[in-house]
Amino acid sequence: MLLELRKVQKRFGGVVALSRGDLSVQAGQVHLLLGENGAGKSTLMRIVAGMLERDAGDMLWQGRPVHLKKPSEAAAIGIAMVHQESLLAPHLSVAENIFLGREPMRGAGFVDRGRMLRMAARLIEEHRFPLQPDWRVEKLTPAGKQLVEICRAVQHGSSLLIFDEPTSSLSESETREVFRIVSQLRERGMGVIYITHRLEELRAVGDSVTILRDGATVHSGPLEELPTGEIIRHMVGREITAIYHRSPLPPGEEVLRVDGLRRRPVLKDISFSVRAGEIVGLAGLVGAGRTELCRALFGLDRYDKGIIHVAGKPVQIRSPRQAVRAGLALIPEDRQRSGLARSLPVSHNLTLANLTAVSRFGFLRHSTERDKVEDFSRRLRIRAESPKQRAGRLSGGNQQKVVIAKWVFRGARMFLFDEPTRGIDVGAKVEVFELMDQLARSGAGILMVSSEMQELIQVADRILVMRRGRITGELPGAASQEEIMRLAALEEAAGGELLQ
Amino acid sequence: MIQRLLPFFTLAVLFVGLSLASPYFLTGTNLSSVIRQTAVINIMALGMTLVIVAGGIDLSVGSILAMGGLMGTMAMEHGLPIQMGVAIGILTGGFWGLANGVMTTRLRINPFIVTLGTLGIVRGLALIISDGLPVHKIPARFSFLGEGNLLGVPFVLWVLVVCALGVHIILEHTRLGRYAFAIGSNPEAAYYAGIPVAFHTTAVYAICGLLTGLAGMIEASRLMTGQPTAGQTYELQAIAAVVIGGGSLRGGEGSVLGTLVGAFIMGLLSNGSDLLGISPYLQQAIIGAVIILAVSVDELRKRKLGA
Repeated sequence: MLLELRKVQKRFGGVVALSRGDLSVQAGQVHLLLGENGAGKSTLMRIVAGMLERDAGDMLWQGRPVHLKKPSEAAAIGIAMVHQESLLAPHLSVAENIFLGREPMRGAGFVDRGRMLRMAARLIEEHRFPLQPDWRVEKLTPAGKQLVEICRAVQHGSSLLIFDEPTSSLSESETREVFRIVSQLRERGMGVIYITHRLEELRAVGDSVTILRDGATVHSGPLEELPTGEIIRHMVGREITAIYHRSPLPPGEEVLRVDGLRRRPVLKDISFSVRAGEIVGLAGLVGAGRTELCRALFGLDRYDKGIIHVAGKPVQIRSPRQAVRAGLALIPEDRQRSGLARSLPVSHNLTLANLTAVSRFGFLRHSTERDKVEDFSRRLRIRAESPKQRAGRLSGGNQQKVVIAKWVFRGARMFLFDEPTRGIDVGAKVEVFELMDQLARSGAGILMVSSEMQELIQVADRILVMRRGRITGELPGAASQEEIMRLAALEEAAGGELLQ
Repeated sequence: MIQRLLPFFTLAVLFVGLSLASPYFLTGTNLSSVIRQTAVINIMALGMTLVIVAGGIDLSVGSILAMGGLMGTMAMEHGLPIQMGVAIGILTGGFWGLANGVMTTRLRINPFIVTLGTLGIVRGLALIISDGLPVHKIPARFSFLGEGNLLGVPFVLWVLVVCALGVHIILEHTRLGRYAFAIGSNPEAAYYAGIPVAFHTTAVYAICGLLTGLAGMIEASRLMTGQPTAGQTYELQAIAAVVIGGGSLRGGEGSVLGTLVGAFIMGLLSNGSDLLGISPYLQQAIIGAVIILAVSVDELRKRKLGA
């Protein structure tokens, strides 16, 4: 056995990221690591690669117990990781990156550039990679960068290579190329751990599989014996704890209508509509294009093609300003970075998008502002010491309520919620859901992006599922997680043969 | 709270200390001269407060001050009335502030770099236009702006009070000021909220330019010359006044009162050193140390707040 992990645990503050991580990988095998967003796959792999220290559990490398504290210690024993986001030095050449930190020397601290280029060329040749040793890494595509990382791992004599979602940023042909390389590495007797989100990739590369769910290993074994339906059940099969139930309304007029929206290469021919009083869920895996859709609708990214109607009127949206004027509101995924001015008081944040309502001829009317802030804080149940408290000091849930209040005060009609419950506790989640319900009841339309399928099932009236920039289907709000997962993860054409 | 009041406290201690240490300090002549000396930096620092609150920086104000003074005095030299000359000086400053704003927002270049560039450009142009020589033929009555008295106090004090009130009103009572805080605190959140970020950022630089132009005319009036070399390193003093007064170079923080206190602390330090016969070389070092001290105390306070 090349690598064995037993009952590995990891917590970040109060959050348990990994409660029981078990994994064994053999040399000459491609081992798939599967799980939903947040199941603990990346945490487990970062522990293997020495980027995180485990809190408890055992790690055996070629039968001997090891405890890695730094990535360099992992590299020294032969473990390397190809990252989702490239960790190369962009301004250096391919050869310089391959040999970074281990440059061939010619005494007295001088790098032997000639030898380095020759060695890099030989390595690239051996693997038939479409690279040149003297190319600058910043000019490479994501796929090219991954090849450089692979070269680096091989050159360093690694015997275990970890791929963290290698194909999430790659095109179809590049994906095939990665598969070719992975099987080549397997034939050379290396062990490969391959993290993926995409079920269609499984059969093409994997020998065996480990499935994580909520921080624990729930299944491990050879891939052949495991039908895809079984894999999905393992991935999502937790008990559904209903924390919220919403009774839907009779939907009203169309608030948002999107026809044929395109933005190369992330959005392909998106069409859907949202009615007043409706909460429409948007499901999909990381990289499916959900956030990109919100960004395009809100004018943060240009769309190439398509028509957007808000409240029956066609609108051109080329900036957030135009989106806001049209009646759209975005509650962004990363509220700390894009939703709040954290060093400013709660009151300033609340009125920011609608200062005209509390000013006359450009001058602020402080008493009107105070009244409005009080009113909206009460309505949205924002718990702050005072309206003067800095927004950054509120709890995650209250911060989120301030962001929502800002748009309610602006009088937005169509709300785009991008992962509205990320980083807030369960109690606050329910409050956010109740707010969304209130908004819908007052005649707003809501599009809700969430990676938590249960949340969508509980809150949404219907669920759109995206995969690779397309809407692959629409499900009723009462859909099962398996149904969502199928649409989110499977190749439509290949779906029939993959599902047993 | 105590730490927030520290600049005021420091100013008060300096004031009382100097009153005790030197019999000349608390005299009308000396206090007027402190006001006259600090007025120029003070008015520039007011404009700088707006820019820093909005998350920017303007390194070119020293050069803009010289250009404003030069254009204003040259206009008078060519026979234009004093009021017109002053207006031309102010507008020249406004023009260059506008240029700074347009370049940072349209070309999306870091304001540090843009204004480092205009610092050189404007100074160079001032030297070319004047051929490196100061403008001397100025009507004698022009000295009133910098040296005259109105109702028993220096005229520049009235100018300063009006400017301070104006900037205070902009910051605390107008949409522009509110947007400046928001842009400085988190430009991305401001953009997401649909605020015209570029427009308001440009406006802030333009106002800073106008105030700098005015400061340039005051400087010219005090020297009774239009100097193309005037105002060198004034930008650093203006920035220092803002940060001593609690402004943050990360943006989103700063106040008129704080800036005034900051500028007067530096003014008193330098006046006090003169009165006590401390070498001007040491003065520079003392002021430098005060800047670091003031900002580190402020950082400590903010870290405690955890915001």
